[in-house]
Amino acid sequence: MTLPAKTNFGDYVRDTRERLKSKDRSFSLRQVAQRVGIQPTYLSKLERGELPPPSEETAKRIAVDLGLDADVLLAMSGKVSSELRAIICQRPQLFSKLIRQLKDLPDDAVLNIVREVTDGDW
Amino acid sequence: METGKNRVWLGERNLYFDFPNVHPEARLRINFRRTLRVPDDGRDYPLPASLGRFPLLPVQDYADSLPPVMQTFGGVMLPMYQSEATWLNFDGSYPIAVKIAAGKINAVTGDSWQATLNNNPQDYITIPEQPWLDGFCVEKGTVRQFVAMPLGEGYTAEEQLTGKAEFGGLQIQAYPMKREFYDEWQEKLRRELGTDYHELPFFFSREIVEECQMGYAPGGKIVQDIYDDPHGVDAWDYDHSLRCFVHAVNSAEYLAITGRQPPHPPISKKAYQQEGIPWFEMYEREKRALRGSSRLARLKSLAQKSKEKNLPIFDNVTIHPNTVELLESESNN
Repeated sequence: MTLPAKTNFGDYVRDTRERLKSKDRSFSLRQVAQRVGIQPTYLSKLERGELPPPSEETAKRIAVDLGLDADVLLAMSGKVSSELRAIICQRPQLFSKLIRQLKDLPDDAVLNIVREVTDGDW
Repeated sequence: METGKNRVWLGERNLYFDFPNVHPEARLRINFRRTLRVPDDGRDYPLPASLGRFPLLPVQDYADSLPPVMQTFGGVMLPMYQSEATWLNFDGSYPIAVKIAAGKINAVTGDSWQATLNNNPQDYITIPEQPWLDGFCVEKGTVRQFVAMPLGEGYTAEEQLTGKAEFGGLQIQAYPMKREFYDEWQEKLRRELGTDYHELPFFFSREIVEECQMGYAPGGKIVQDIYDDPHGVDAWDYDHSLRCFVHAVNSAEYLAITGRQPPHPPISKKAYQQEGIPWFEMYEREKRALRGSSRLARLKSLAQKSKEKNLPIFDNVTIHPNTVELLESESNN
């Protein structure tokens, strides 16, 4: 997926959390912060953009709790996961070239290039 | 050798089976070629040419548009027109044994699907010895072409042998050669040939919605050997096999399922001849061919089945192939 139009980390987290909270009270600021392992005041400041985006680990835990894609949330923080960084750093020239060539392709064309195939029950 | 996860993946109309846990070069590439449906008139035809590769799409991307059973089977889908033919092209230099079934009917023996390799009779092909597979192995040196037909009308090998239209499509399971066996084999070749056998080129290219599921009927006859396993059944690594279900999806439904235009319709026999597209014969001096399956030989072909149903079969006129190119394997030299 491409990044949503509203690509601010705090706005995206708050909008998602509020939407979930409207159906499930356990997505209150306090309870989400508790599950993620941070202070509610810290989460509140992140959502309002008063603090810079958190560490990779915290962003990933927020993504898991809110059912978001961790890579998308990290991209909103201006970060790439350490796992992806390690992959690129193993073959920097190849992946840099590949990413530059892919940047203007539509999503479905990119997905056509490499897809893992799942096996089922037959 | 733990360098990554064994997996099946799709890339640019190719289906890859990767076994990095066995050997970094243990990779099988399969693609499905568009081709002429040879006349089903009792004559033996040479190998028809490739007219390009069929697109392949993962079924998990179209969960909302496909029958649930296709999601259950997983794998990929291959859009084909009714009574269109295909052949399978295999690439790979690391030895891999491959079981191929249509509607879970083994294409080499005609037996029901088994997730093991058997050698009496041999029910699999080996790569790189076998570069292509065009159909069901009905007798030594002859296959009946894979022709896509709707499930439920009684044409497919599956329906003729089981009485059910349950699976359709093609099923593939790949078993890489055991690492220790491969290392020993390479060492033996190095001693005998004084080179890395791996580097030799092995074969020539032959390049030049609910009712959507299809299976494969036996079509016209093509001269093609299915080769004997030169390594023996113990060479293959049962602990690292990978498999994939390839659903044949009617092109007429393809647009509705995927929103993509289906491939253009298959070429007619007249156009194939008029365009001067060549035919091929493979010459192999040293490889032994399997005997073929009497069970598959007893199947009614597409034309026989159509006649039984008193239905016409489109574009089935006899052809006299005008250009037949002889392909000789490098391994003959």
